[in-house]
Amino acid sequence: MNQHLVGAVSSRAGQPSEVASAHSNESPSGQQRMQDEIPAAAPSPGTPPRVYLKGISKYFPGVIANENVDIEVLPGEIHALLGENGAGKSTLMNILTGIYQPDAGEIIIDGYAKQFASPVQAIAAGIGMVHQHFKLVQAFTVAENIHLGWEETPKRTSAAVLEARTAELAKTFNLQVKPGARVSDLSTGEQQRVEILRVLSRNAKILILDEPTAVLTPAEARELFRALRDFVSHGNSVIFISHKLDEVLEISDRISILRQGRKIATEKAADCDPRMLAKLMVGRDIVLDDMRGRAANAKPMSTEPVLKVTGLSALGDNGLPALHGLDFSLRAGEILGIAGVAGNGQRELSQVLTGVRPASTGEIVLAGKAMTGLKAGEFAAAGMGHIPEDRLHSGLAPAMSITINAVMREYGRPPVAKGGFFSREAAGKLAREIAGAADVAIPDFAMPIRNLSGGNQQRLVARREMRIAERILVAAYPSRGLDVGAINTMLRYIVELRDAGAGVILISEELEELLNLSDRIAVLYEGRIMGILDNDNLDIDEIGLMMGGRAHIGAGEAA
Amino acid sequence: MAFRVQRLPSSTPMIAFAARVIAVVLALLVTALILAVSGHDPVDLAGQVFSSSLLDSFGLQDLGVIFIPLMLTGLSVAVAQQIGAWNIGAEGQFYAGAFAATAIGLFVPAPEWLGLILMVIGGFAAGAIWILVPTLAKAYADVSELISTLLLNFVAALMVYYVATGPWHDRMTNSATPKVKAEIPEFWGAIHWGFPIAILFAIVLALVLSNTKWGYEVRLSGSNPSAAKYAGIPVRRHLITVMLLSGAIAGFAGMLEVAGTVHRLQGGISNNYGYIGIMVAVLARGSLVGVIFAGAFMAFIQNSGIILQTEGLTTSAVLAMTGLILFLTAIGEELSYYRITRDKV
Repeated sequence: MNQHLVGAVSSRAGQPSEVASAHSNESPSGQQRMQDEIPAAAPSPGTPPRVYLKGISKYFPGVIANENVDIEVLPGEIHALLGENGAGKSTLMNILTGIYQPDAGEIIIDGYAKQFASPVQAIAAGIGMVHQHFKLVQAFTVAENIHLGWEETPKRTSAAVLEARTAELAKTFNLQVKPGARVSDLSTGEQQRVEILRVLSRNAKILILDEPTAVLTPAEARELFRALRDFVSHGNSVIFISHKLDEVLEISDRISILRQGRKIATEKAADCDPRMLAKLMVGRDIVLDDMRGRAANAKPMSTEPVLKVTGLSALGDNGLPALHGLDFSLRAGEILGIAGVAGNGQRELSQVLTGVRPASTGEIVLAGKAMTGLKAGEFAAAGMGHIPEDRLHSGLAPAMSITINAVMREYGRPPVAKGGFFSREAAGKLAREIAGAADVAIPDFAMPIRNLSGGNQQRLVARREMRIAERILVAAYPSRGLDVGAINTMLRYIVELRDAGAGVILISEELEELLNLSDRIAVLYEGRIMGILDNDNLDIDEIGLMMGGRAHIGAGEAA
Repeated sequence: MAFRVQRLPSSTPMIAFAARVIAVVLALLVTALILAVSGHDPVDLAGQVFSSSLLDSFGLQDLGVIFIPLMLTGLSVAVAQQIGAWNIGAEGQFYAGAFAATAIGLFVPAPEWLGLILMVIGGFAAGAIWILVPTLAKAYADVSELISTLLLNFVAALMVYYVATGPWHDRMTNSATPKVKAEIPEFWGAIHWGFPIAILFAIVLALVLSNTKWGYEVRLSGSNPSAAKYAGIPVRRHLITVMLLSGAIAGFAGMLEVAGTVHRLQGGISNNYGYIGIMVAVLARGSLVGVIFAGAFMAFIQNSGIILQTEGLTTSAVLAMTGLILFLTAIGEELSYYRITRDKV
C-alpha cells in the first residue's frame, strides 16, 4: 500500500540518455506554455540560456563540493536540482548567487559571462534566492521587509506609502500578502510569499528556491506551485532545489541530478519516474519500504500501554500554549508515528514527553509510574531515550570531545561513575563501544564531535539513546538532514529497538517514513491531535487533510 | 600556481599553542622596535630585565609576589569560563576579599592562627558575596554577567578607597589602614605560603573538573546548556555554584594580598590584578593548569614593567605592551583556524 512512495529501485530503471544538456532539449510538460510556434524550453537557436553554469568547480579542504558542473537553465523553465545531502546543490547555488566564488568555470547569464564578487552583484544580474530559513525581520511589517535594503525605497517615506507600494507589487506579481501585518504573526506559507515577493520585486529573472515545500502544508505547496508556473510563463526561470521526488516530477520541466559534487544527468521530467531518479541520485539500490513486519525473534507488542498520556498541555518558548490536551497511549513494541507539518507542536511534544519541558497540565504515566513534574534525568533513568530534533543544539556539546558526548547518558552510573568520581578510562571504553555499535570509525576520541559528519553524529546519538531506551524511545526527526544511506541506517535502528520490545514515538515530516514504520499514526496540527489512524488501509489524502487542520472523521470534535 | 586561504572548523592544540607563542614574540618585537625608535637600546633593556628578574634572587621573589594574585585572579576567571560565564569582576571581588580580611584583621580579637583562619574564610565569603547578585541575575533573569560583574568593580574599588582613607585610616599614613594583626608566614624570601597554596588550588580544581561527576556536569553545562539540560543536569545550580566559587577565589586572592604581602588595606591595592587575570585566563585557553604558566608569564611582564620604570620608561609603556599581547593573541587565536593550501589545478 505504500507503493506511491519511493519504492525499491528496480534494475529496469532507464539509464540517463544524456549526460550534459544541450539546446535541443525540449522540456515543457506544463500546458501553460504558449510562446507561438517555438517550444518554450527550446528557444530559437540564437536565444542563449538564461543561466549557463559552465564547468563549475569548487573545492573545500579534502572535499570536492562541485567539479566540472554544467547546467543550463532556459527561459520559461522550472529546473529542478536534485541530490542527496552533501551532493553539492547548496554550494552550486551559493556560487550562482555570489556567496562563493568558483575555483574554476564560468557563470553565463543571458549569453554574457559574469563574475559575482558578492550577492549584491548577483541580485543586480536578476538572480534571487529564497532560502530554506527565511531572512525576514520578524518584528517588521511585510511592507518594511519588502523595502529593507532596497535602493528603490523612497528616501522619505511613511508606513502608508510603503504599504501601498507593497500592495502594488503584490498585485503585479500576483502574490497575496498583507502589507501591514507583522512577519511574526504570519504563517510559514505567508512568510515564504513575502520572501518570494521581496526577491521578485528586485526584478529577479531567475528565482532559486531551496527546499521550499519543507515548511508548507500540501495546500500551501500547491499555491506555491501555481505562483511558480505563473512566474515562468512570463519567460522567467526557476531553479528548484529539493529531495522530494514526487514534487520534483510534478513541478519541474527538467531535472538535473547531482551526486558527490558532480552532475550526473539532466533529464526531461516527462521522461522520468521516481525510481529512476532515486537510482540516479544515490547511485546505488536503496530499499525504503514497508518495515512494519516483525523479525521472527521479535518480542510481541504488549497488551498494556507502556506510556499513557492524558490531557497533556504545555507552553511554547513564547509562553503561549503550544500543546492542547493531548491523549494517547503507546504499547511496548509499538511504533507510534506523529505526522504533521513542522512547527505544530512537535518540538514541544518531544520535550514534554522526555521531561526537558514541563507540562502545564495533564499526566504522563510511564510503565505505571506517574512522571508528572519530574526532570529529564528521571525520565532517562526510567528507561526513556530521546533523539532530539536538533542534535547539535540540544543533543550534543559540539565543542567537546566525542568521549564526553558519548557518555552523556551514562556518566552518572557505574562503570563511568565510581562514587562521585568520573572514570575517564571507563568513559573511553563506553565511547568506543557506542562508536562500534554505530559503526562509526573514529580516529581520535578527544576530537570535538562537531568535526564528525552529521550522519555520524546522528548515529552516535541514536546508539547512545538506544542503550538507555529500555522502555521508550522518542525520536524527533531522526532522519532530518541525513542522506538516504544514513536515513536507512537510522530507520533500521528504530526497527531493531521496536523488535527488542521498546515503544517508539517517531516524529517525522516525511510521510513515507511514517507509513513505512509506524503501527499507528497520529496527526498533530496546532498543538492538537487531529486523529490517530491505524496504519492499515490508510488513506494518504486523509492524512494530508488532517495535517492541514481537518479533524479525522469520527475522531470526535474538531479543533 | 595559486595559493588559497581556508578556514577549518577547529584548530589543533599544537597550532593554537604556536599561534600564542608567535603572538607574544611579535608583541615583544613591536615593543622593542618602539623602544629603539624612541631612543632606548632594546637589547640593553632586555638584558637588564632578564638579569634583574630571572637571574636574581630578589628579582625572583618580586616575581613570586606578583604571581600569587595574578594566578588566582586568572584562576577565578578561568573557573567561571568552565560554566560558560565571563567573570569581569575579579577586580571587585579581589577588593571585597581584601576588605573583609582587613576588617577581621583589624577588629576581631583572636589569636593570630585563628585570626588567619577567619581572614581566609572572610576572603572567600566576601568574594562570593560580591558576585552573588550578578550570579542570581544571570541564573534567574538571564542578565549578562559581563556588565553586572564589571560595574561592581567600581563600587568595590571606591568602597575600599573610602574606608582606607576615611574611617579606617592610619593616623601615620592617612592613605592606608593600620597593619593587620595576623600575617601569612613566609615561604621563601618575600614570598608567602600563598604561593604553593595557589598552585595547589589550580591543580586540585583541574583534577576535580576532569575526574569527578560534578566536574563532568559543569563542563557539559558550560559547553552547551541545552544539551546539559537534556541530559538531566541541574544547569542553574551548577552555574550558581561555579560562579560563587569564581568570586571566592578572587576574594581569596585579595585576602592573601592583605595578609601576605601588603599587610594593610589601601586604595588601589588590586593593582588591576583582576583585569590582568582576564588576560591570564585568555592566555591559558580555559585550562586551569595553563593558568599557572600564563600567570607566571604575566607576572614576568608586569615585573618587567616595574624594572623598565626604573630605567625611565613610563608605566603606560607596559600597559601598552600587555594590551598588545592580548590583541595579537586574539588575532592569533582566529588565524589558527586557517590553513594556506596550494591550488590543485
